[in-house]
Amino acid sequence: MASSSQRRIDVAGLVIALILLVLAGIVWWDMTKLQILSPYDLGPKVMPIIVSGCLILLAIGNAIGALRGDLPVRDSLDWKPIILILGALACLIVLIRFGGGFMIGTALLFAATSTAFGRRAFVTDFIIGAVIALIVYVLFAKLLTLSLPAGPLERLF
Amino acid sequence: MEAFTSLAGGLAVAIQPANLMFALIGVLLGTAVGVLPGIGPALTVALLLPITFKLDPAGSIIMFAGIYYGGMYGGSTTAILINTPGESASMATALEGNLMAKAGRGGPALATAAIGSFVAGTIATLGLTLLAPYLVDIAVSFGPEDYFALMVVAFVTVSATFGDSPVRGLTSLFIGLMLGLVGIDLLSGQSRLSFGVPELYDNIEVTTLAVGLFAVGEALYVASRRHIQEEKLEAVRGSLWMTKEDWKRSWKPWLRGTMFGFPIGALPAGGAEIPTFLSYATERRLTKHPEDFGKGAIEGVAGPEAANNASAAGTLVPLLTLGLPTSATAAMLLAGFQQYNINPGPLLFAQNADLVWGLIASLFIANVMLLVLNLPLVGLWVKLLTIPQPWLYAGILVFATMGTIAANPSPVELMMLTVFGVLGFLMRRFDFPIAPVIVGLILGPLAESQLRRALSISLGDPMTLLQSPISATLLTIALLALVLPFFLKGLGRFKAVED
Amino acid sequence: MTQFRKGLWRGALAAAAVAGFVTSAAAQMELKIMAPAAPGGGWDQTARSMQQALTQSGVAKSAQVTNVPGAGGSIGIAQLVNNSKGDGNQLMVMGYVMVGALLTNKSPVTLDQTTPIARLTTEYEAIVVPADSPIKNAKDLAAAIKADPAKVTWAGGSAGGVDHIAAALFAKAAGADPTKINYIPFSGGGEALAAILGGKVTAGISGYGEFESQVKAGKLRLIGLTSAKKTANVDVPSIKEQGIDLEIANWRAVVAAPGISADQKKALTDAMDKMAKSKEWQEILKGKGWEDAYVSGDAFTKILAEEQARTKEVLTAVGLVKS
Repeated sequence: MASSSQRRIDVAGLVIALILLVLAGIVWWDMTKLQILSPYDLGPKVMPIIVSGCLILLAIGNAIGALRGDLPVRDSLDWKPIILILGALACLIVLIRFGGGFMIGTALLFAATSTAFGRRAFVTDFIIGAVIALIVYVLFAKLLTLSLPAGPLERLF
Repeated sequence: MEAFTSLAGGLAVAIQPANLMFALIGVLLGTAVGVLPGIGPALTVALLLPITFKLDPAGSIIMFAGIYYGGMYGGSTTAILINTPGESASMATALEGNLMAKAGRGGPALATAAIGSFVAGTIATLGLTLLAPYLVDIAVSFGPEDYFALMVVAFVTVSATFGDSPVRGLTSLFIGLMLGLVGIDLLSGQSRLSFGVPELYDNIEVTTLAVGLFAVGEALYVASRRHIQEEKLEAVRGSLWMTKEDWKRSWKPWLRGTMFGFPIGALPAGGAEIPTFLSYATERRLTKHPEDFGKGAIEGVAGPEAANNASAAGTLVPLLTLGLPTSATAAMLLAGFQQYNINPGPLLFAQNADLVWGLIASLFIANVMLLVLNLPLVGLWVKLLTIPQPWLYAGILVFATMGTIAANPSPVELMMLTVFGVLGFLMRRFDFPIAPVIVGLILGPLAESQLRRALSISLGDPMTLLQSPISATLLTIALLALVLPFFLKGLGRFKAVED
Repeated sequence: MTQFRKGLWRGALAAAAVAGFVTSAAAQMELKIMAPAAPGGGWDQTARSMQQALTQSGVAKSAQVTNVPGAGGSIGIAQLVNNSKGDGNQLMVMGYVMVGALLTNKSPVTLDQTTPIARLTTEYEAIVVPADSPIKNAKDLAAAIKADPAKVTWAGGSAGGVDHIAAALFAKAAGADPTKINYIPFSGGGEALAAILGGKVTAGISGYGEFESQVKAGKLRLIGLTSAKKTANVDVPSIKEQGIDLEIANWRAVVAAPGISADQKKALTDAMDKMAKSKEWQEILKGKGWEDAYVSGDAFTKILAEEQARTKEVLTAVGLVKS
């Protein structure tokens, strides 16, 4: 519904264009550090050059779109649930990194996501998440002998 | 006709109660692991190999075949229901399949996937029975230049489906191509875009990207919009089963999907992704209901699913005739054979005929079993969608992360999943199409290495691309696919003026 | 129906055996074996076979396999060196490929930091050509590569891997410039094999197991193996016997964590010695077609050091490692 009278510069669109430009720069910089060139084929540099060049063109294309205000209309955004979910994912990563095992982290992720979607029963959900994690752990680790990241809870089984 | 008598002999082996039992265990296990992203049939077979060491060869190989086919079914079920493709081959299915499920048409989507897989699997297994020796000669004659031309065809046809804004579609594609650069360059052994992080050396896992973009990205997006628009999922709207109209719209895509899947799957470097995306692009172009694409078109599920299963049977062509393992699962099946001192190869059909025909026959049986198991379950699966939304999304995230950890228990892999989730969220918010990112990640590195191999062999002469008849034909097709739409549009305008 | 029951029963037995229910009073050790690769690959299969042999023969009470995939083992070895210091129950499977991968990946961790225990198996590299190739033996191939290394295309595994190193060594031994070889890496064994069968490349190089059935069926011609002398399973003299000085093998071995005591090292070495002799291990070797190359203790430490030095030299010569 972007009628021409309402068109104005879209700042987010310009940021996207800028990010693409930065990405193009990183790809280019990384390419210059390649030392070994294959003697007979195109070598490892050609593809990064193509990608980098096209990203620059696309950055320009996106910037033009943003200046013309061509981006689709966006609704307002609720940041709280996003932070909640990403926070839980971060906890899971930290727990696994430092040997806390995946069960606690998974239970936390389950409870946090369900809270983000409007439920108000954190403890119940935490237990549900833990039970799911336990079932999966027993199935994987014991039946398929897969090594899942273990912590204090996992060692009990 | 000789093939049929042998096949009948094989069926006699496969329907022995013990072997039926193994096939059943196989399809059940396969479906179970196929449901989890990251854990595919290859991994399962690898883990089960030591356990089956003491079983008789026929039984365990039949079980592995069941796992292989079962994994395909499981992967598509989650792709449709919760937008979490279990493996890269069911990514194309997720595109329209999940939209159907959200529109209350999950039942028909699952049904067309199951029946399509059955039809394709059956035709492809027949193809394996009758054509394997001939097909394999063509397959082996495919050189790097021909693969490159095939990738070009895939790029061109799939690009046409990127949505209405070329700039946004191409932006997505090039982000995918950029991600495809990450890791060790196969041909020179150097790492690109890895910044010294060893976890990045092995390239970005397609399932991690897909699950991040699809499942995590969507969970974030829906959560951020709850205050504006409560997403209401109706598990069943209209018929739970396929209507007459659904059948009418499905059968041609099934057959076309098989036509893509089986031969490309039989190519040593063909894979399952290219045929599924080619099938998706074709159905989108040929459909009589273009307005449905983007809202849940049954053709977009029927075609790729058929292509997926047909390519699985196609992989067995080089495996059984030449002993060439061309997919991770095929490599595991090969290890399974070798464990019993059976060496698949040119002599396998001659030396172990019972076993080979028993395996082929059990593929038929696994297919029937999966159909019989899955169709009645459709109602139950669809009920999954009636789980309260908080639990449904919480469950999706738990599944996504656990699948990722199980395949690679590294925090870096989870970090990538999270980053891709944020990327998926942002792309949804700013209306960038998501599928091209995955297409770029899959096809980019393949196309690059095949082109570089071709040029290496020809000592840098690009004419090699036109000298090979296969490559020349494919490139002509690609050119036509690129130019024809404009030409037809022009012609249409011309006609309109005439009128 | 009897067959049906029998099958089930055998299945249950096998499952129980693998799950480790079969224990022995003599077993003391609770070992952890890391496979620095994803499930399914060669190192993983080795680790799981060791698990099977160790527990079933009663050498160890339990053996738990963990997978740490990534970067040709670079991630696994980093974890072993950094997180398992002094742990006398931790083993890691590794192989010749890791020697090269650590160099090409510029890994900050090296094999010198681990405690070498034993070499287990070995596989010789094989050079093959399509059946209708004019190249009949190693001399022909050497002459062709000396005439113009660019025109001899090689299909093999990843860049810097054992296949690549062997091809470079062949060129060097033939008197050609090893940096000029036209080596084309393929991602999977099947893909490389298809390129050779289809006549897209001049020669193929890989472990003999990859080619064996094709050679027997007459679709590929075996030029020779990279062993010192002709082995019993082939009809062709080794490449070295044909006058090209090339000897290389792709071996697999186990190493332990850094900083373990002499007693711990001895206990692990003893366990490996016992396992290598066990009936269970010998059966697995036969089943998988792995060649026994068991060497433990100082002899293995010496081999490991030599292989590291030689590999570094070759990879530098080929230009894959900048000195």
